[in-house]
Amino acid sequence: MKKIYLKTRFRHTLTLSIKESFSIFMQECKTVCTDKGVIIIFLIASFMYPILYCSIYKNEVLVDVPVAVVDQSHSKRSAALLRQIDASRDVKITYHCTSLQEARKVFNTRKVHGVIFIPSDFDSKIVAGQQATLAIYCDMSSFLYYKALLTSTSYIILDNSKQIKTERLNAQGITGEAAKMVADPIPYDDIILYNSSMGFASFLMPALLIIFIHQTLFFGIGMLAGTAREENRFHVLVSSKIHRMGIYRIIWGKSLCYFVLYFALSFYTLGLIPRIYNLPHIGNPVDIVYLLIPFLFATIFFSMTFSTFFRNRETGMVLFLFFSLILIFLSGISWPLKNIHGFWRAFGWMFPSTQGIQAYVKINSMGATIREVSFEYISLWIQTGVYFLTTTLTYYWQIKKNKIRFRIRQIKGHKRVLTINNPTKQSDNTADYKSES
Amino acid sequence: MPIAIVDHDQTPSTRSFIRNLSATQQVKVVMQLNNQAEARKEMQKGNIYAFVEVKHGFTADAIANRRPTIVFYVNDTYLIAGSLLYKDISYMSALASASMQQKVLRAKGVNESQIMGIIQPIISDTHLIGNPWANYGVYLITLLLPGVLQLMVLLMTIFPIGVELKEKTSREWLRTANKSMAAALIGKLLPYTVIFILLGIISNILLYGFMHYPTQAGIGGMFLATIIYILAYQAIGILIIGTLPVLRDSVAMAALYGLFAFTFAGFTFPIEQMPYPVQIFSEIFPIRHYFRIYVNQALHGTSISYSYAYYLIMLAFTLLPALVFYRLKKAAIYMNYPTK
Repeated sequence: MKKIYLKTRFRHTLTLSIKESFSIFMQECKTVCTDKGVIIIFLIASFMYPILYCSIYKNEVLVDVPVAVVDQSHSKRSAALLRQIDASRDVKITYHCTSLQEARKVFNTRKVHGVIFIPSDFDSKIVAGQQATLAIYCDMSSFLYYKALLTSTSYIILDNSKQIKTERLNAQGITGEAAKMVADPIPYDDIILYNSSMGFASFLMPALLIIFIHQTLFFGIGMLAGTAREENRFHVLVSSKIHRMGIYRIIWGKSLCYFVLYFALSFYTLGLIPRIYNLPHIGNPVDIVYLLIPFLFATIFFSMTFSTFFRNRETGMVLFLFFSLILIFLSGISWPLKNIHGFWRAFGWMFPSTQGIQAYVKINSMGATIREVSFEYISLWIQTGVYFLTTTLTYYWQIKKNKIRFRIRQIKGHKRVLTINNPTKQSDNTADYKSES
Repeated sequence: MPIAIVDHDQTPSTRSFIRNLSATQQVKVVMQLNNQAEARKEMQKGNIYAFVEVKHGFTADAIANRRPTIVFYVNDTYLIAGSLLYKDISYMSALASASMQQKVLRAKGVNESQIMGIIQPIISDTHLIGNPWANYGVYLITLLLPGVLQLMVLLMTIFPIGVELKEKTSREWLRTANKSMAAALIGKLLPYTVIFILLGIISNILLYGFMHYPTQAGIGGMFLATIIYILAYQAIGILIIGTLPVLRDSVAMAALYGLFAFTFAGFTFPIEQMPYPVQIFSEIFPIRHYFRIYVNQALHGTSISYSYAYYLIMLAFTLLPALVFYRLKKAAIYMNYPTK
């Protein structure tokens, strides 16, 4: 008899909790849809940011970086060398200077981003069978200038060296196949994997896409929490009307709303954008969906935990906007994670974005499967669990605080009633509180 | 940076090649693997950024002059790590080739003085101006600090003014300043100006003094640039809140504008290589001009006359509040904008 009673009661609570979660879910969806600021962050920012950044970084590689040359050798050989450099994709010779001083002046005006200096003894040394030197000065204001200049010159120098080598070996009486063997006894093959054009957008954009999701969620949820505080009676985060439904139902109902929205949005951000803009997309979409579930939940609970500290609509953004950048650097995409100082690595580990970026890049750009990113995948689930706990704790704390505050007001109200004995005020007060409780 | 070796040969000479590879600046051999598939798996896990494959019979082929190939695979998904590793591994491979050549040429009886000329006829001597170590910290922190600073300045200019409008206390604020908008603005923002300038100067001292980051032309020019930089961003803050006297909207606007600054500093991807409309757009960010000054003064060490123009452009930003002065005053008096 008792068993049946428990069973029906259990079933009753279950259906009730699902019903209530669903009602909170619907309510939250309504709030999101009617708040212009949140719509701007959740939808417009999520739509626009990927497009804007992809168009800014449309040019994947540097083409024709302007350089100045100082050719004091004035020889056929130096002219040929410079012609080859000019013809390369990365570099374009825009200034011919007579001295290094002159080149320095051009360099200082930043019209060129590198100087190639060929000394007067260049040709004579080569003829004499000695080592000829040429100097390259790189603008280090961007890593990419340095890379462009170095790749093109070193390749052309190597190419020229091979010819000279063969000539010299011939002079030594080593010819034909033997010369080739001596000239290049151990050739090497370089194979660039996954981002074979060494493109900048292919490198940065996948990480940025994850950051967009992470940050818009964070600020959007922060704004919702701040608004709730501003609008609810007594400036509380969770109004008493809702919190009687139970803390887990509130959290599930709300988080499900964000999850559904962002799950759909991610098809655009992570699925469509890489295909439209030709970013790397060799990963298995199923794996990305697997990854997305813990990533979104971890981010949502992370944001909900922090959102309890925002008293106003705008506070979250004002205080934490700069964090977006730090998250990119902490993610280990620009500088390898293994070379980041242990403290910063541990700090970065706490953010869902770090794991999300690492895992997404590995799956999407490098064709890894969930098995290869198990570390990130498990980390994300751990984060989901931990941040879910912290969310419950902070929500519980908020509700408890409000209850205490509410009781204090109630006591004060009674006191006032007793001392002032103002019947109209009394009825107003009690009616107010009655409707609240 | 961690790399792996797939050594199918396992002879003393391949081992010495691996040791030499480990000795270069960026490379650290962390694992020896059995085959390419394993190496690829490790790369996908992110444990290594490159791997070198030495074929079976490598040493025997090298001795017999059969020109064995060293193959290396670099993961350029991590662009910076990839490029640095590429440089070091190709250098080491060339060196391995060179030592082999030296042996062969000596055996053939070529004159010792001529050997180097044959092995490496042209040497390129690379000078990295301003950052000779290709130190990544120099890029990262010199971008990050001013970048974060401008975000804070922007938001902390908009927030104090916007909050007055939002809480409908702006009329009172104006009254305390004897109904002079200029006095009200200056009074409100001056404390922030002082704090941010102090912060800016401290971060400059930290970077160039304690951490010895390059400042070829002295620290004074950077101080001046920082001060004008902060003023310029405060002016833009006023412009934004003046144009949109609703706290929520102007904060969103500032966020959008401020985050783009990192792209338009031109440190990551050079501005000249971006599409032309984007290049024009980049000029409306003081950080762009700040970085031009930084490159001139700190990295290249040119005389300050090269940077006058950029100082002036940044100063010109401080005139922007004039455009919205009356609009903001009206908003403060009539409080006729939505607060939510």
